[in-house]
Amino acid sequence: MQSSSIDIAATPAAKPGLRLLLLPLVILAGMGLSVEAGLLGPLGSQVGHLWATLSIFGVGSAILFLLLLFSGPQRGPALSELPRWQLIGGFLGPMYVVVLTLATPHIGIAMTMIAILSGQVGKSVLIDHFGWFGATRKKVNGERWLALLLIVAALVLIARG
Amino acid sequence: MLLAVVVAAGAVLSVQAAINGRLGETVGVLRSSLLTFVVGAVSTGLLILFFEPAHAVSLLDVPKWQLSGALFGVVYMMVMVGAVPRVGTAVATVAVIVGQLGMGMLIDNFGWLGNPAIELSGSRVLAMVLLGLALVFMYRSSSRV
Repeated sequence: MQSSSIDIAATPAAKPGLRLLLLPLVILAGMGLSVEAGLLGPLGSQVGHLWATLSIFGVGSAILFLLLLFSGPQRGPALSELPRWQLIGGFLGPMYVVVLTLATPHIGIAMTMIAILSGQVGKSVLIDHFGWFGATRKKVNGERWLALLLIVAALVLIARG
Repeated sequence: MLLAVVVAAGAVLSVQAAINGRLGETVGVLRSSLLTFVVGAVSTGLLILFFEPAHAVSLLDVPKWQLSGALFGVVYMMVMVGAVPRVGTAVATVAVIVGQLGMGMLIDNFGWLGNPAIELSGSRVLAMVLLGLALVFMYRSSSRV
């Protein structure tokens, strides 16, 4: 159910050979996300959107539980020692998955992915520009506005076509 | 309108990614993901108990491959954990989006997995080109900082 995070930042790169090897793997992982969305739409219209969502979170929980169990003790503090607000991310995931099952049968998977993307980019640009949610207000440069504009243009194009 | 709802879902998703990113740094990716999935499963289960109308078909009746969606999500997570430190966030992000949109177009065009077929039209291709340009601009604006 995860989608790509769009907060692009420069990171030190690895050897060129390794990069070339890893890149197809990452592209495949991205393709998997579309397959997941493609499975969700038809499933949701058969068994109900919430049930389809439950299948994702139920199966995902089970797999992760097993992975965690067999990967040995984890470093870092226990979940119960963390500030409560850091735990609310889990409530946001289902909203996203429910919307996926609702939307893909009507507007298609590629379109849904572009719309999600524009929401991600738009949110980060607006939060930076206006300093919402207590973020430090910083000037958003012209290129990022242009990027947002292009993505919105892409959305409009597909919505009309 | 449906499109606006999907855009909003994208915004929600990036809020979630921000919260979970911080969580993952302190307790590890496996534990933060498990937490996300368990909270997601439990809250969805509650919603189903109280609000979902009965359906003629249940999750147990559909072909098993239709339930495999979560596997792709988990594999995605593992690949990203391994690849991002080595290829960089920017490259990884663009690669994921290329994969997502390419596969999305294919599924739409051929109507795979039981989806309604949406033919690849000129405006769809143009939209892809615009999106590619947008990624270039985002990449340039962040690599200069």
